[in-house]
Amino acid sequence: MKNRLKVLRAERDWSQADLAERLEVSRQSVNAIETGKFDPSLPLAFKLARLFGMRIEEIFEESGQ
Amino acid sequence: MFCSMKNPVQRRYVIRCWIGALLVVLLTLVAALSFRVAHLRGPLMYPMATLPALPIIWVLIETGRYLAEEKDEFQRNVLVQCLLGGIGGTLALTTVWGNLEHFAQVPHLDLILIYAIFWFFAALTYPVVYRRYR
Repeated sequence: MKNRLKVLRAERDWSQADLAERLEVSRQSVNAIETGKFDPSLPLAFKLARLFGMRIEEIFEESGQ
Repeated sequence: MFCSMKNPVQRRYVIRCWIGALLVVLLTLVAALSFRVAHLRGPLMYPMATLPALPIIWVLIETGRYLAEEKDEFQRNVLVQCLLGGIGGTLALTTVWGNLEHFAQVPHLDLILIYAIFWFFAALTYPVVYRRYR
């Protein structure tokens, strides 16, 4: 699944470790989600959306869309 | 096994695994001494022979507990894939070996080795899984 995490993170000047700390997950998790290799669960996607003050579909985009 | 030990659930799990491994070695030694040196006989033979398996069962329960307690779904996913690698590898190897024993009379594979074989394959799977997400 494609996502805008890297851009959103860069806009806030956060490192992957910073974002991981805010989400209470490992940096590896953030990296795997950011590169589209791991799709987060719905609760984690909501947590991300809340953190960035956006809707889930503004962060994630279904592949092929 | 894990790259970050900041997570208290992971730390607790790894510590318990190490304790389990030490207990296996210790209790295997106790069982071996009981049978080979003290020549243990009678009904006590059975609990003594079972003793080294108890920490192994404990570590398996702890693995399940870790999966239930771990909040980081990615780390949980990595471990589940490693465990599947361990199960798959063990089943494949023991099936092939069983056929070899049955048809080609190769030496018997002692069942006591199954647990070590399982973790060997699980550990072998870890870098493969981790590389996929790097």
